[in-house]
Amino acid sequence: MTQTPPNEHDIHAYVDGHLDGPARGEVERYLARHPEREAEVLAWRQDAQQLRALLAGDMAPSATLDPALVRARKRHRRVARLAMAAALVLCLAVGGVAGWAARGMGAGDSQPMADAMEAYRLLAVDHGLGMDITTGNEGDLRSWVAGRVDPDVHLPDLADAGFRPMGGRLFATSQGPAAMLLYDDGNGHTVSFYVRPPGPVRHMLPRGQREQDGLLADYWSRDGHNYAVVALANAAGRLAAQRVVGRSI
Amino acid sequence: MTDPHIDEALRALLPRLRRFALWLARDPNAADDLVQSTVERALSRWSTRREAESLRAWLFAILYRIYLDGKRRAGFYARILGSLAQEEEPTWPSAERVAVAHSTLAAFASLPVEQRSLLLWVTVEGMSYQEVADVLQVPIGTVMSRLSRARRALRQLGEGHVPESPALRLLK
Repeated sequence: MTQTPPNEHDIHAYVDGHLDGPARGEVERYLARHPEREAEVLAWRQDAQQLRALLAGDMAPSATLDPALVRARKRHRRVARLAMAAALVLCLAVGGVAGWAARGMGAGDSQPMADAMEAYRLLAVDHGLGMDITTGNEGDLRSWVAGRVDPDVHLPDLADAGFRPMGGRLFATSQGPAAMLLYDDGNGHTVSFYVRPPGPVRHMLPRGQREQDGLLADYWSRDGHNYAVVALANAAGRLAAQRVVGRSI
Repeated sequence: MTDPHIDEALRALLPRLRRFALWLARDPNAADDLVQSTVERALSRWSTRREAESLRAWLFAILYRIYLDGKRRAGFYARILGSLAQEEEPTWPSAERVAVAHSTLAAFASLPVEQRSLLLWVTVEGMSYQEVADVLQVPIGTVMSRLSRARRALRQLGEGHVPESPALRLLK
């Protein structure tokens, strides 16, 4: 007859009905001698039985939880995720290509030689700015441009085309100095000859012509410079520009 | 094991998983979400399961872990939002509300999560103490002492020493 109380494991095993044989008898004998402990253990057993009875009812089956469905949904989600990933890659690719194509956009002229047209507008149309040099002498103009922009700038010889120089003005661009020279044909038609270093985006320009807001620009590149001839976009201006361009290229 | 066999094995345990989930989450929708996450995780981790391991204990462990993780996250967010109080508020449907009227169930429902799980595993599911120890990842001796505490707590609550708890407030 031992006085050592049964260990916790045996007590619980007894409560849960897992205890058989001599161990069970030992617990029962111990409890018989310790009524307050016995009361507790029996109450535990009663609670356990009650819980079992109360919770035993199976829950109604839920169709959405069926493993086969869960598996299918999972596969579907994986496909959707793959599609999403593919779409993301595509977006990145499209964005990248578009970004590459649009590089430099907004960094300045989106249109070729827009600055030449702006300069013409400022000087010849709006008379908003004064000239840096006012001279009717083509030689003076030539050396002025050579000194301030580049000695390699090709200036057209326009005297025999009926144009005489009026003067010039320097402009700053982020690539270096640009110059605009104004010529007059004696009939009130002003044509500008504009030269600047190539821009960051449009390095060398193909020969081209465009009109915008009543102005006409002919442009081209040669020996590391961009050139434009700007005139009013009317019949006289067109003719004048044509004559200048013909002598310049 | 082929896919249909796995599905069949899981399907057989679904009712038990749902019951456990319901008594954990005390909310039928949350319970079904729990079970679904459990089945998903079980499917994706099937290959890591040891054959000798009881499938039921393995699934219970997964579900329990998911629930605790979710609760931790919920608690974390609740603390951030300063509304920790609403975290433990169970939302019983009317049928369960009736069931809770039983004092033992009411006591059971108001036990802490671990004690609830422990009692359900041992008394209702009949899991062995070793299985429970594996699920909780504690020594078997610890399971024994925790089980004693859980049984005392259930007794105390069931005898009417019931603190004001959300589960009981619903009965008024």
